Amino acid sequence: MYVKSSKNAFWIVLFLIPLLILFFFYFVYPLGFIFITSTLKWNGVSKPEFVGLQHFISNFQNKTFLLSVKNNFIWLFANGFVQIGLAALVALILARRPRGWKFLRTVYFLPNVISQVAIAMMWAALYNAEYGAINQLLTAIGLDNLTHNWLGEYATALPAIIVQQVFYIGYFMIIILASVMTIPDSLYEAAEIDGANVWQQEWHITIPMIKDILVTAMTLAMAYGLRHFEATFLLTNGGPANRTSVLGILLYKKLSALKYGQASSISTTLVILGLIMIVVIRSTIGRKSSASDLTQ
Amino acid sequence: MKSIVRGLALLLIIAFAVPVFANGGSDAVVEETGEIVLSFPTFWVGQDSKSGPLASLLEAFNNQHAGEIKVLLEPNPDTDGYRDKLNTQLSSGRAPDIFVFNPDPTSFQYYDSDILFDFTDELQGSWRDNFVESYILDSTKDGKTKSVPYEIGITPIWYNSDLFAKVGVNTFPATIEEFWAAADKLKAAGIVPGSQMTGGSNAWTSMLWFSHIMGSLGGPDVWDKPLTDPVYVKGAEVLKKLFSDGNTTRDAVGGDAGVSGGHYMAGDTATFINGPWYIGRIRGDAPEVHAATRLAAAPKIGEYSGHQIGFMLSNLAAGNTDDPRKRDAIITFMKYMTEPDNVKMVSESAGSLFAVKYELGADADPLQREFVRAASEASFVIGHFQSQVDVSVIQEFGQALAAMALGEATPEEFVQMLIDAQ
Amino acid sequence: MSIVRTNGRGTTQVLGNTAKWVVLIFFFTFTFIPLLWLLISSFKTNLELQLKPFAMPEIWQFANYANAMKISGLPRLFLNSIIVSTVSTGLTMIVTSMAGFVFSRERFPFRQGLLNLILAGVLVPIIALMAPYFRLTNSLGIYDSLWALIFTYTAINIPISTFLLYGFMRTLPRELEEAAIMDGTGFVGRYWRIILPLTKPGMVTAGTFVFLFSWNEFIYAMLLTSRPAVRTLQLGIRFFTSQFFTDYTSMFAAIVLTMLPTIVIYIVLHEQIIKGMTSGALKG
Repeated sequence: MYVKSSKNAFWIVLFLIPLLILFFFYFVYPLGFIFITSTLKWNGVSKPEFVGLQHFISNFQNKTFLLSVKNNFIWLFANGFVQIGLAALVALILARRPRGWKFLRTVYFLPNVISQVAIAMMWAALYNAEYGAINQLLTAIGLDNLTHNWLGEYATALPAIIVQQVFYIGYFMIIILASVMTIPDSLYEAAEIDGANVWQQEWHITIPMIKDILVTAMTLAMAYGLRHFEATFLLTNGGPANRTSVLGILLYKKLSALKYGQASSISTTLVILGLIMIVVIRSTIGRKSSASDLTQ
Repeated sequence: MKSIVRGLALLLIIAFAVPVFANGGSDAVVEETGEIVLSFPTFWVGQDSKSGPLASLLEAFNNQHAGEIKVLLEPNPDTDGYRDKLNTQLSSGRAPDIFVFNPDPTSFQYYDSDILFDFTDELQGSWRDNFVESYILDSTKDGKTKSVPYEIGITPIWYNSDLFAKVGVNTFPATIEEFWAAADKLKAAGIVPGSQMTGGSNAWTSMLWFSHIMGSLGGPDVWDKPLTDPVYVKGAEVLKKLFSDGNTTRDAVGGDAGVSGGHYMAGDTATFINGPWYIGRIRGDAPEVHAATRLAAAPKIGEYSGHQIGFMLSNLAAGNTDDPRKRDAIITFMKYMTEPDNVKMVSESAGSLFAVKYELGADADPLQREFVRAASEASFVIGHFQSQVDVSVIQEFGQALAAMALGEATPEEFVQMLIDAQ
Repeated sequence: MSIVRTNGRGTTQVLGNTAKWVVLIFFFTFTFIPLLWLLISSFKTNLELQLKPFAMPEIWQFANYANAMKISGLPRLFLNSIIVSTVSTGLTMIVTSMAGFVFSRERFPFRQGLLNLILAGVLVPIIALMAPYFRLTNSLGIYDSLWALIFTYTAINIPISTFLLYGFMRTLPRELEEAAIMDGTGFVGRYWRIILPLTKPGMVTAGTFVFLFSWNEFIYAMLLTSRPAVRTLQLGIRFFTSQFFTDYTSMFAAIVLTMLPTIVIYIVLHEQIIKGMTSGALKG
């Protein structure tokens, strides 16, 4: 394609070096540290003891670990499909510039800018069994048999946290919106003339054209699903009875207990799961896109 | 697909080869002359009741030793964050000069390495007399004392005497049967008998209840028994009952310290457990409850009664060093902090209690005096469950408790979950 | 984009319109309520907050705001957060746009493998990296400085930013550069004058991401700094927690105080951002 002169090679290397240096020190080295530690039994100060794959084996025999993996997958789908779906929906609506769309766009993004701790606190208060607004509301309209200890019951805890998270679409909505707004009007005008209604326009024009950004957003959202930690930590700390536990929470607990070997085995598992996820995405959705096969 | 495999191979090769060449950084060389600066990261800052007195203690010390020693406070109000940072530092071989050491079995692992300053020799001398001996012994492992006991906690049962009086109970129930009877009376009057919680990182209130229960069932040596001993299941049964039949609030499962304490302060619940550090909180936020609060020993369940739960809350520790000047500075500072007059000043100002021997002055908070009285009148004192087991067990305690409270696990299964977490 | 709107004739259109507004208002409520709650809660006492979280304050506690302002050096913390966030963002943009350019438009050995390696970085759980990052920061001698945070945040965001920018640059057709090559534009010129300006939407996307991350980050801000003079806003807010009790209401007051300038900045910049995004569109 382009002449691979030595001059070009020089620039290529130069442009890559800053990233490679940072990446090497901040990812390759630590990952090596993590991989090696995952084969050790180590509390941080005493002499480490080599145990091979024992941590991984015992992980897969541990009920809580398996439950956490299952929850991570639930998060993966909740984030990747529900959250992105909602974000796309709002983006499509806002792209047509209804009244006050600029204001709405700003408001939708605000929660990303403020402290997650505050948001979590509010939701914990909402969900509280004794004085939370949800239960009070249900009682007020006579549905007090539907009241629950939302964050403290097996069946409701995980859905409660998921609800808290997936509706905060701000960031992804902005990305998708930006992409939709780059689609030229001429396409819509032509379709309008041909008699296509709004739904048809969105389905046949908008969505195919933003497919790439949708896949990107989904991949990112799913990666967050795997890395999920904060909301669960703040709301239930993995409870009740580890029902809402995710790998991130387990990881944190192991670190606090100075079980660095086990913690590293969880990190390694997370990375491997993530790699598998990327491969699956690539081979199912990613392949169909022609112009930008994003992960290839 | 091939490219992924190649990428992974690349990753693995580099990742395994690299750490071999990484070094941990060099230590700063301490100068031969000049001021010794000791960094002191701590969470006794900001809203902590000890922050004011500590700051003035440090100022006085720095003035006294101007030009020779300077202690620099590093504020870390978030205790979880503090613990994470400390663990990270210690695992990297870089201990802070002075820091707060949490005296639990997990942290005592640090004694096994050389990273902590060893105070054993210094404590052979007259310095030792400052302390209540049992705390020094508790801070000693394999004959070495690598942290200095400082703040202690005593956590008797708190009860709202007004609420109890309202249902005709004028003294705190002495036996568990009387307690359940009183609970029924309270419930009939629309009062919830007790605050409980399974949340937070350690289910604090309920963990303390469990400790009281175990003390009554097993006596002063109960913690010597392994978790497989049936006495733990007996204790779990009582704990379960405390969560059932409306004996606690609906939000106890999953609730944290704010929930548990909040209900007591609002007058929703009639009993609670916490330590002297909470006095200021109650006095400020709920004066009527503060006035009505009395302290008691747990109701008798097994053979034992009249005991209290007392434990080391925070010790002081230092990073090990070979530099003789720095060693002297550290010892000087430690002795300063544990001087009875200094400790007394902090205690009266903050409401906390300490492992150093001193007399509370005449104008100390009456509730604080109650704590001291409760401890001195106790038939025996045992530590809380958290001080006896690995952090992993405590992490699992709240989870297992939630399962048991929700009826998803039997008391036997509850104990089994704790055993499995070890 | 002109307003293409179907005219609300027919029941499907009316239903569609209503449905549309239901969605918008729902999300508005969902996002706005927490902010409102935060504001009102900041005027309560802690006991009120715990027991009556959704009632109006009995007495409006302006003392909470006085408390919040007492945090030593709140303006300084704010400034540090701004510095760290903007410099990290800038650095990340430079580093990853350069790399993204090379990955998307050049061929060289190990290109694919290297790219996969970098993208895999998105998957690493950040809390697992505390010990290595602490050691690294000490080895580099930058512990307890803003640089520690800047380098760490930049590095952490490299995978995501590369992912986004590479993906974006890939969609830019080669014809754009071919003309320039004929005219003799060199490597740097292609990057600087052609591709980079067109990547603005991608940069805004990635940049927003990095900025938000750096702004909200807490764990490493605490781990890698010691002196109050180099600490960031998130740590200052933690001032209100303590071992057995958290003064949430004063903390909320502090959050509100720091939110105001953030919102102002966001609103101002957002106009710029939108301009940048829409002006960069060239596809036709």
